[in-house]
Amino acid sequence: MNVVATQLVAVGLGAAAVLGMVAVVAAVLLTRAARPAVVGVLTAAVGVAGTVAGVAAMTGQTWSVQLPGVLPLSGVLLSVDAFGGVFLAVSGAVAVAAAIYGIGYCRGGGGGGLASRGVQVATPLFVVSLLLVPAAGSVSTLLAAWELMAVTSLLLVVAEHRRRGEVASAGRWYVVMTHLGFVAILIGLLVLAAPAADDSWDAVRAAAGTLSPAVAGPVFVLCLIGFGSKAGIVPVHAWLPRAHPEAPSHVSALMSAAMVTMGIYGIVRVGIDLMGGGALWWWLLVLLLGAGSAIYGILQAVVSTDLKRLLAYSTTENMGIVLVGVGACGLFTSTGRPVLAALALTAALLHIIGHAAFKTLLFLAAGSVLHATGTRDLDELGGLRSAMPVTTAAFGLGALAASALPPGTAFVSEWVLLQALIHGLPAPGVATSIVVPMMVAAIALTAGLAVVTFVKAFGVGFLARARSTAAAQAHESPPSMLTAMALAGLGCVGVAVAPTAVLPTLGQIAGALVRSGAPVSGALSAELVGVTGVLSPVLLVVALAVGSVVVVAVPRMLVAGRARRAARLWDCGAGPLSERMQYTATSFAEPLGRVFDNVLQPVQDIDVTHHQESAYLVSSVAYRRRVPDRVERRLYQPVLAATAAWGRAGRGLATGSVHRYLGYGFYTVCALLIVLVVTR
Amino acid sequence: MSLLGTLGGTLQVAVIVGGSPLLLGVMRQVRARMEGRRGAGVGQPWRDLRKLAGKEAITPRGTTEMFRAAPVLLVAMTLVVVVVAPFVTTDSAIPQIADLFVVVALLAHATVVLALAGIDTGTAFGGMGASRETTILALVEPTVLVAIFALSVPVGSTNLSAIVGSSLAHPAQAIAPGSLLAAVALIVVIVAETGRLPVDNPATHLELTMVHEAMVLEYAGPDLALIELGSAMRLSVYLGLLANLFLPWGIATEVGVLALLGGVVAFAVKVAVLGAVLALVEVFLAKVRLFRVPELLAGSFLLALLAVTSSYVLA
Amino acid sequence: MSAVHVQLLNLSAGALLLSAVLVLWRRELVVIIRVFAVQGIALAALIAVLGAVQGSLELAVFAVGVLVLRAGVLPGLLRYALASGPQERRETRPLVNVAASLLAAAVLTLLALAVSQPITALAPSSATQAVPIGIAVVLIGFFVLVTRRRAVSQLVGFLLMDNGITAVGFLTTAGIGLVVEVGVALDVLLVVLVLQILTGRMREVFGGTDLDELRELSD
Repeated sequence: MNVVATQLVAVGLGAAAVLGMVAVVAAVLLTRAARPAVVGVLTAAVGVAGTVAGVAAMTGQTWSVQLPGVLPLSGVLLSVDAFGGVFLAVSGAVAVAAAIYGIGYCRGGGGGGLASRGVQVATPLFVVSLLLVPAAGSVSTLLAAWELMAVTSLLLVVAEHRRRGEVASAGRWYVVMTHLGFVAILIGLLVLAAPAADDSWDAVRAAAGTLSPAVAGPVFVLCLIGFGSKAGIVPVHAWLPRAHPEAPSHVSALMSAAMVTMGIYGIVRVGIDLMGGGALWWWLLVLLLGAGSAIYGILQAVVSTDLKRLLAYSTTENMGIVLVGVGACGLFTSTGRPVLAALALTAALLHIIGHAAFKTLLFLAAGSVLHATGTRDLDELGGLRSAMPVTTAAFGLGALAASALPPGTAFVSEWVLLQALIHGLPAPGVATSIVVPMMVAAIALTAGLAVVTFVKAFGVGFLARARSTAAAQAHESPPSMLTAMALAGLGCVGVAVAPTAVLPTLGQIAGALVRSGAPVSGALSAELVGVTGVLSPVLLVVALAVGSVVVVAVPRMLVAGRARRAARLWDCGAGPLSERMQYTATSFAEPLGRVFDNVLQPVQDIDVTHHQESAYLVSSVAYRRRVPDRVERRLYQPVLAATAAWGRAGRGLATGSVHRYLGYGFYTVCALLIVLVVTR
Repeated sequence: MSLLGTLGGTLQVAVIVGGSPLLLGVMRQVRARMEGRRGAGVGQPWRDLRKLAGKEAITPRGTTEMFRAAPVLLVAMTLVVVVVAPFVTTDSAIPQIADLFVVVALLAHATVVLALAGIDTGTAFGGMGASRETTILALVEPTVLVAIFALSVPVGSTNLSAIVGSSLAHPAQAIAPGSLLAAVALIVVIVAETGRLPVDNPATHLELTMVHEAMVLEYAGPDLALIELGSAMRLSVYLGLLANLFLPWGIATEVGVLALLGGVVAFAVKVAVLGAVLALVEVFLAKVRLFRVPELLAGSFLLALLAVTSSYVLA
Repeated sequence: MSAVHVQLLNLSAGALLLSAVLVLWRRELVVIIRVFAVQGIALAALIAVLGAVQGSLELAVFAVGVLVLRAGVLPGLLRYALASGPQERRETRPLVNVAASLLAAAVLTLLALAVSQPITALAPSSATQAVPIGIAVVLIGFFVLVTRRRAVSQLVGFLLMDNGITAVGFLTTAGIGLVVEVGVALDVLLVVLVLQILTGRMREVFGGTDLDELRELSD
């Protein structure tokens, strides 16, 4: 028993691998009816094993194993340290909820193709790859795991391509961008590993100091682009708001809560762990990208009316905030203040955990709505409280957690991040002293807009009255889906109320990376070490509960209140209000859309159709308003257009004549021979 | 949890719950006198509350628990702020949550709860008010945090007691350019968050201009009484924070009948004076268009940012 | 330099910056001119404080000169230009809207802070520490010049730049020859007079001073 307890990382990862293989075999062999349940349970077990391994690693167990035969040339090196353990635990925990959810979601009306063999094989493989990435101990292993993660997630994204045309387009965007990102990472890591003895992290870390700044800078930027595209960082985010909404909801949760964090893992692993900080401008760039992503992501989320697209943009926003934490960590490292660096990184790690909890919950609840009503359009939802009480409660909890209001999940991590920033001043360098207040403002604007986003999503989507018959005929989801939501909800509440359970550990992990002590301590309240600051989420919750009880009880004692009565809504005496009179998601966000008109640049078309008899009589007016992704339009479309132009030019070569194609080969061979003759 | 803090927390609840309707009464009275009316008297808000509390509670059909819980949550959240913030004594009853971020975010949360209740009614007015209120809330947020930043950098902490203690120890800091700019920025924030002129008109029920009132249009009886009380408490809390962050004179620093009494009186006088000035200024202001409000808030954001820069450029 | 002097210097520097921001914020041209006059007073106060610190009569005289010119003569001329024209009371549609202008002013201030760091580092004192504010006023003035449509507000932008340059000059050296300064001041006065005549001509010909309409001449 003691051997097991001391080797929990090895046991957990081993169990995850075995269970994953069993799940794959089961998915291949079982019948369609039995498949989702068995695969779901087994995948959840993989998640549990991964979580156990991750938590064990976080508390200080390390484990390393060399498997030379698995991959040709380099073999596989797995090595789990405390930092990787955080991501291992997050991925595992998300997988548990997503897999349980998948049982009901794949079986029911969630999609015809979801119980198919391909999807059911890909799901456990995806989960295993999510565990492999943070467990990888060498460059080649990381790259292999990364590719496995990309391919399996792609299979899952396009799972419903038969039902909706947009899925295929989303899949194309995803496959192209994820592979361009892969190329960037590949080049960056290979150059980084070139001077090292072998490609394990230890060797690379030892050799990283020998890189000249002229090489180290581009290496970091390449890794930032590659990993950043996986994390959905603007401007390499374009795949995210397409792929996440189109994937099945439990896969969206896996991608949005676990997979994108691997991008952050990569950036921290390369920039802070392997390269040990680097130059100041790296981190200014990271901060800028982080703040830009946060604001741009949440602005797009505010005006979005597609529930899952809104959540996807919110992922970009949250990864932006995490990146601000990472950037602040690097900034403070390179200006020689390790305590603040550790504090900022702690905030980033806590935000990753909190984000994983609430984004899982939100995507699962959104999937439940999609399952029940068949629509993701907020303008057609509403009034789900009576038909779907559990889903409504789950989404409400997730919305509170996401909107950085106390006592919410995101509040604690943003508080820690703001503490790190506030203690960053007065700063020695002018760059720091200008950037730090800007970051505070950026986080504040993001937090404010996030509040609007989630008030809109929850208020318009779930409260008030149904805006369509689909929403009016909604029904609650099967128990497996509700169980998964309850699990994710528990995670949210846990991180919100008792972040102190993980904060000191995270602080130690962050402190070890930047060579400082743990920046946070305390069991009941989070006390910052090295700088002043204290916050007790538990006491806050208790105080709010006591306050609510007092507010309910005291008036009852003082005033003999009369019974509560139901009444009609006030309608100005003009007859009952119809649901068409309610504010919709579009109208709710309209004022903000107008304030940020210059940034968002919405496109509107108005078509006026006149009567045939007279040009003065209008028969109908059609009004359409879209908010296209501006970065996408300005950055990607020119590139795509240029590529398409090249393609058209090349089409002239391909006429369809086989003789011509053979001729090309013949001419090329001859030309090469002539060149050889001439140059010799 | 010190004795001073506990005493202060208790006193603060009594003073603010009892006094905030009176503050509203004072402000209405000032306005009435300025407009050449006699006014209803300082005690009128309390008489209104008593009348409302005795009526029967009404739940509009089709609303959910959100609608019923919102008034309670609004008052509860404000009450927590009242207990922890240093209004009468420098120590806080629960120092672990007496953080400027926490306090400001709790007050914002109370607004969000009301906005959700407004949407929950399913009327056009409710949605409209919620949409406008949250828009203003989102745009106010950067100013708030940057102003907090300006105040906390010299102190090295965001703890309210620490900031108040520092202002008490260095009274000259109150006229430093950084503090002045931050104070002006915070005044704009307070005007926007408590729905006063020129951002919102608390006396109007015209659909073109309503913000706060549109959200709570469906409330009646005891629920409305709670909301009115909560709004009045919010106003007192904001004015009290403004007063004590910059001019904490008279606040009790030790346990003693005289010290505590002095703290209560000083707090009441400061808030009453600030309220009267606010009411006086409001007489001369017209409400600005909703889409001019961002200009006001951008201006206050600029002031807050200048406060940060000047606190270490001109130090 | 005593603490009181530092405080006064900071206050006048703060007023200088704040009035520049207010020019961006307000739309009514009358108010803009009034704010400009206030800035003239702040500039004079700044120079007077420097003069008091150094006990320099020359600076004191110059402070009075600045007060008369920047807070009296120039605003008076601008007001006259405004009163003699047709109904142009407001800067109705600036090229960059007011909220965005204010955010731009924030960015410009930070830029000024970053740019002037080496200057401050050369001789750290309370006076040089206020240099960023002077540079910020110059940048904001330039911004007003670029983005405002009315000729009067553009003139104010130009004068803001000049105020900023003067402030920077006094804060950094505190010893420019009086003759040079007087010469510069007269130059500025001349420029304003010329521009005002031009404005009057434009108004007579086109009936307004929206400078964007001049583009049609070249098309």
